[in-house]
Amino acid sequence: MALGLSAGQKAADALALVPQLVTADHDPDADRRALGSLCDWCVRFSPAVAVDGEDGLLLDITGTDHLWGGEDAMLADLLERLARWGVPARGAIADTAGAAWALARYGEPRFGSGRAVVPPGGQREALARLPVAALRLDEAAQAQLPRLGLHRVGQLYALPRAQMAKRFGLAFTQRLDQALGAAGEALAFRRPASPWFARLAFFEPVSAPEDLARVAADVLALICKRLEGEGRGAKRFEVVYHRLDGKAFAVPVGLARPGRDAVRLAKLVAPKLDVVDPGFGIDVITVHAFAVEALAQGQARIDAELDAAEALAPLVDRLVNRLGEGRVWRPDPVESHVPERAVGRSAPLAAPAAARPWSPDLPRPTRLLKRPEPIEVMAKLPDDPPLRFTWRGRHHRVQAAEGPERIGQEWWRGDFDAAGPGRIRDYYRVEDEAGGRFWIYRQGLYGDGDPPKWWLHGLFG
Amino acid sequence: MPGSREARIEALRGRIAAIEAGTRTPTPVLPFGDPRVDSHLPGGGLPRAGWHEVVGEGLEGESGAATAAFAALLARPRAEKGAVVWVLRRSDLYAPGLVNLGFPVERLVMVRVRDEAEGLSVLEDALATPGVSVAIGEVEAPDLVAGRRLQLACERAGGFGVVLHRRPYGGPAKGATGSAAFSRWRVGPARGRAPPDGLGLGPPAWRVALERCRGGRPGAWILEHSEADHGPHPFRVVSELADHDLAPAPPERLRRAG
Repeated sequence: MALGLSAGQKAADALALVPQLVTADHDPDADRRALGSLCDWCVRFSPAVAVDGEDGLLLDITGTDHLWGGEDAMLADLLERLARWGVPARGAIADTAGAAWALARYGEPRFGSGRAVVPPGGQREALARLPVAALRLDEAAQAQLPRLGLHRVGQLYALPRAQMAKRFGLAFTQRLDQALGAAGEALAFRRPASPWFARLAFFEPVSAPEDLARVAADVLALICKRLEGEGRGAKRFEVVYHRLDGKAFAVPVGLARPGRDAVRLAKLVAPKLDVVDPGFGIDVITVHAFAVEALAQGQARIDAELDAAEALAPLVDRLVNRLGEGRVWRPDPVESHVPERAVGRSAPLAAPAAARPWSPDLPRPTRLLKRPEPIEVMAKLPDDPPLRFTWRGRHHRVQAAEGPERIGQEWWRGDFDAAGPGRIRDYYRVEDEAGGRFWIYRQGLYGDGDPPKWWLHGLFG
Repeated sequence: MPGSREARIEALRGRIAAIEAGTRTPTPVLPFGDPRVDSHLPGGGLPRAGWHEVVGEGLEGESGAATAAFAALLARPRAEKGAVVWVLRRSDLYAPGLVNLGFPVERLVMVRVRDEAEGLSVLEDALATPGVSVAIGEVEAPDLVAGRRLQLACERAGGFGVVLHRRPYGGPAKGATGSAAFSRWRVGPARGRAPPDGLGLGPPAWRVALERCRGGRPGAWILEHSEADHGPHPFRVVSELADHDLAPAPPERLRRAG
C-alpha cells in the first residue's frame, strides 16, 4: 500500500504504478476455505471463534487472555504467528465485537504494530476519531453520512437518536449501539462454545504414532474425568491434533449411547490416526465433547448379567467408527404398503419405532431387488399369472402361483400422475419347476393405453 | 470275537471324544428334533457355540435367497437369546421376509461391508461380543485362517455363526476349500407341498445336504419350514435323500427324488 495500491483498483492502473506487479485471479472459494482453516487454528486462543465476512475472524477471548499474560501479549502472539506464515493481519481487542471490528480495520496504528487494545469501557473514545465506515453500516447510510458533513464516528454521539433512526433506518442506531456496548450482538461461532473441552500442550512436539495415541488417551482421560465428576456422558467426541505450522487434524469418534470410558474412546481413536500427518510435530491436542447428557453413576463392570443393549454398545461403536455412519443399521418398520418403502433404517440401539410391525402373514421375499428387473412372460389370460417367464436369460416354468396382491402407489406422496392406475402393481408369488420362488408383479392395467409390463421384484427363500 | 471288536471300537470312540473335548464339559447342542437328521450330527445336534457354512446350489450361490432363509431358520433358536448381526455385501436382505419365517428382526443389526476381508473381520468381532448370540455373514469363501479365527471367537463368547457363501452376480464360482467350520450345508430350493385346500403355495421347502460335519455323517434331506412343537428347530423333515456315506448322489438323482 506504500506503493499506492488499494483494493478495488483496476489491474491496468495498478500495473502502471508498479510494473513488476504479480497478479492472480480472485478465488473466493479458496479464500473462504483458507479463512475456515485459519478459524480452526484460532481455537488454540479461544474456543469461540466466528468467521466474519470475507476477511475477518472474531474471537471471544473472555477468560482466556490470562494464559498469555494479558490481552496485549495474546494479540501480539497471534499476529506474530500469522506474520510468520506470511499472513498479513491486523487485530484489535475491545469490549464489543463492533469496536474490535472497527479498530482492526480503521484503527490508528493501521500500518504500525498492527494491533490495538482498548481498555475496558474505552470504546467510546477509541471510536470517536474513526471514519463512519467503521460502524459496519449499509451502503446507503455510508454514502449519505459524509454528504451531511458527518465524517467521524464521534460526531454521531451527540445527534438525536430518533431522527437518525428515522433517516437511516433502525440498523444504523443498532450498529452504533453494538459498537459502543449499549446493545448486544449475537455471533455465529463456527464451533459452538462448549464447556466440555480439554486441552493438552506439550513442551516438545510429538510425532510418533504411538505418542499420538497416548496423548489422545491422556486428553480423553481429562475430559472423561470431568464428565464423571458431573455425572454426565457424551455421545460424540472430537480429538483435534494441532500441528506446529497451524494445520489441525480432527478425529471424530461417536458412541451409540452416552459414555465416558476413556480407555474405550482411546481404542476408537487409535485406528483413525492415519488421517493425522504430524509433519514437524504436534504441539497441542484438544478434545471437545458434544451431545452431553446426564449419565447415571453406573457400576463400571459386572460381567455376569449384562443388559443386552449395554453389551452390544461397544460392538456398535467399533463398527460405526470403522465403517461409517450409514453402514450399520437396524431395519425398522415403516407404515407403507409399497415394499421398497416399508423398511426404514435406524441406529442399532435407538428406541424401537412407533410404526406397526410387519405382518407375518403377508408373503414377502427374503431378498428384495433394489430395482425391479423386467421379465418376459407368457400368460394364458391377461389377468392370469404367467405360465413361464425369462429372467436374466434363464427360462422358468411356473408350476404354482399365488396372488394377486394389489399394491397401489401412494398418491399423497407427490404428483398424482405418478400414482394413477398405470402405476398399480399386482404381485404374484410363483414357484418354478426347481422350487425357486419369485415375487413378480404386473404394472398397469389392460386396455388402458400402454400394455402392462411384468417385473421381478424379489426372491423367496 | 465280533462282540469284543464292537466293544473295542466303542471304547476307542469314547477315548477320541474325550481327547476332542479336552477338559471341557460336553457342549450343549441344538437338536433338529428328528432322528433322521440328528443321527448324522455328533451329540444329536448342532453345538451352540461354533460356526457353520451354508453353500448355495446353482443360482442360489448368487441370489442367496434360499440360503438366507435356511440360515435364518437354522439360527433362529439362538437368535431369540440375544442380538443378531447380519453382515452383508449388498443390502438386499428384506426384513419383512424374515418376519415371515418367524425371525426376531427387532434384534437384528445389519452391517454392510466393502470387501471380503472387512466382512470376515466384522463377523469375527460380532461373534466375540458377549451380547451377540448369532452372527451371519455373506462372504465368498473364507480361508482356513479366517475360519479358525471365527471358531476361536465363537468359543470365547459362545456365539453361533453362519457363513453364507455368496458370489457376486455373474462372478466365477470359487471352489469350496477346506475350512474350519463345524459343518457345511448345501442348500437349494425344493418344490413345496401344495397346501391342503390346493390354493396358492405351501410352506417353503429346501433340498439340504450336509456335506461335511466334524464328528458326524453326511446326509441329505428335504426340509420344510414348519412351526413344530418337536424340538427347537423350525424344520420338518419331508424325506430323506440318498445316503452320502455310501455313495455321493449325483445331482440329477436328487432332483428326481425331490
